[in-house]
Amino acid sequence: MKKLLYLSFALAFSVGFSQDKDDEEKKDWGALTGGFESIVQWYNDDTGLGKFAEDEHVRSNNYLKLDYNYGNWFAGIQVESYAPMPLLNYSPKLDDSGIAQYYAMYKTRKLEITAGYFYEQFGSGLILRGWENRPLGINNSFRGGRVKYDPSDALSFTAMYARQRDGFEVSEGEIFGFNSEVDLTNLFKLETSSLSAGFSYVGRKEDIPEEFQNTGFNEMTNAFSARLDYSGNSFYSGIEYITKSKDAVVNTQRYIADFVEPGNGLLINFGYSQKGLGIDATFRRLENMSLFSEREASGNVFNENILNYLPGLTKQHDYLLTNIYVYQAQPTISVPDPSLLKYGEIGGQVDVFYNFKKGTPIGGKYGTKIAVNASYWAGLRGDFNFTDREAEIDYFGFGQKYFSEFSLEVRKKWNRKWQSIFYYVNQYYNERYIVDKLGVVNSNIGVVETTYRINSKRSIRAEVQHLWTPDDNKNWVGGTLEFNVTPRLSFYLNDIYNYGNDDKDEQIHYYNVGGSYARGASRIALNYGRQRGGLVCVGGVCRFVPQSTGVTVNISTAF
Amino acid sequence: MKSIMSFVVVFLALTLQINAQKQIPNISVKTLDGSSLNMDEITKEKGVKIISFWATWCVPCINELDAISEVYDDWKDETNVELIAIATDDARTKKRIKPLINGKGWEYKILLDENQDLQRSLNITTIPHVIVIKDGKIVFRHTGYFPGAEDQLYDVVKENSK
Repeated sequence: MKKLLYLSFALAFSVGFSQDKDDEEKKDWGALTGGFESIVQWYNDDTGLGKFAEDEHVRSNNYLKLDYNYGNWFAGIQVESYAPMPLLNYSPKLDDSGIAQYYAMYKTRKLEITAGYFYEQFGSGLILRGWENRPLGINNSFRGGRVKYDPSDALSFTAMYARQRDGFEVSEGEIFGFNSEVDLTNLFKLETSSLSAGFSYVGRKEDIPEEFQNTGFNEMTNAFSARLDYSGNSFYSGIEYITKSKDAVVNTQRYIADFVEPGNGLLINFGYSQKGLGIDATFRRLENMSLFSEREASGNVFNENILNYLPGLTKQHDYLLTNIYVYQAQPTISVPDPSLLKYGEIGGQVDVFYNFKKGTPIGGKYGTKIAVNASYWAGLRGDFNFTDREAEIDYFGFGQKYFSEFSLEVRKKWNRKWQSIFYYVNQYYNERYIVDKLGVVNSNIGVVETTYRINSKRSIRAEVQHLWTPDDNKNWVGGTLEFNVTPRLSFYLNDIYNYGNDDKDEQIHYYNVGGSYARGASRIALNYGRQRGGLVCVGGVCRFVPQSTGVTVNISTAF
Repeated sequence: MKSIMSFVVVFLALTLQINAQKQIPNISVKTLDGSSLNMDEITKEKGVKIISFWATWCVPCINELDAISEVYDDWKDETNVELIAIATDDARTKKRIKPLINGKGWEYKILLDENQDLQRSLNITTIPHVIVIKDGKIVFRHTGYFPGAEDQLYDVVKENSK
């Protein structure tokens, strides 16, 4: 802790010093920029939810990022401090403080060389993605070396060798990566459209435990991806195919003896759009496609060591009750018993956006905007022979239904002061296959949101939601009230209430009250209330959080 | 507890001491047809521009861009301002960008920051986040959107386009 303090003093001093000089001598000393974010939570005992049974009632996650740039040279560090402990359900590997990441980079128009920690994504991330998402506790960056070279506007190459970040350390596997992007528009002399292709390779090399050696897979696992994207005036389309070499099947962080399978994935997308109308359709098939930088990380609950990005392709909702039954992609092969066989997933989604023009009967004075989404996901159909430990999987076979959803959103501005959003969702959620609980949930959710502008600065927003289901925890009701005092200062109050629960003790109010103030690139938010236990999802990736009650302070700034 | 507080205090003090970031880093982003574009192609142009970080799944972001869309023609006529909307959607939602902007009839220049390289380099932790640049230099930043913030934003634009 002390070290960190000294470090921050030293940095503050050196920065102040360099900028004084900058002003006095008008010399270019380069630019130092950065960001700081701190989330402090104080968990208290709650008669409704029970005593807080863990260590440390007060915990915090703190991130300080500093970047320095001088001409073509760039360097930076990220200091992280989880003191005295990380927030609830962040990985225990983070229980420390210190310099978590550092890098140095040289960059010109055609060439970029990086040493240290870096983030990277090949194509859509189906084969490789290193990224950071602090609310989810994800930091899958890479530590090693990377070279990017763009010999012309139409060509771009990336080569990397690294190991993946794992807490304050790196994971076991060595990662080799190569990516190329080729713009074919000029080659084919296309004038009103564009065509591009991509090819990637990712290799992971990791020692095999003695008892699993010579069982039909190598320490090096190879994955290849090829893709093609077309974009015309109003029509566009893309296809990506990915294949992974034979590798041991690992479920919930344990090798499954004598079970070795290859994997593959297919992603097809097309869309049409013109002014006032947009349609998009996506199909995806994933067979045994999870990929980790360490085999035994497969199925870990903290989203650690994940090499590729396989989000659930469904609509990302923004309301509390629409985020209870969230689909997560099911790319993994697992055969725990004959009644639960999973080989991967197959399905798709369609989006339609339409704007009823101003002056039409439905459009009214300001126009009416609607958005429709429908998605359907099922398991791959196949057979598993428990004696030979072999899976036979159909290519275009839809097996057990996992999830389906239909949603309709209508946005309507009534006049200069009033504006509303109507939202309806119908869901089918197979708990047995998605979260390993018994049962299926059929639910309907309705949301009405209205904003009233009191004057040019002040407004009130209110939200009412209800979830109807005869299954799982039954009905929920919820509401939000938000008072925006100025565009900078705002207060809110919300509550969701599981009034339909069969167990009277579980009919709990999850209430929250708080406010935020933002100025420039800084923001401070204060919140008190109850967190519903369950999955917290951002961008199709979810993290399980236990329920808790407490105060949260969130400070973030950029400089 | 004491150590956390001092940690926070020191870094806040440090923050205040440093002048705000003035430049948009020259990071490569994508246009909607998939080709790369370096940010210096935008920052080297003269005039006032609004850079807005948003995502298709972010309701306040869409509220803000919808609100500006209604007055955008007036803004352009009066100040010559240009709005560049940088979508931070990743592979999960990026396919919705094109149909969404067309469905809404937005006339902004749309760019894609798919692995959030630009967002990270500007240390943006929450969206919506707007940045106003004049002749390539940052003159204003704001996080979050509540109704009326677009008027405040336009005041900044007018002041800088004189």
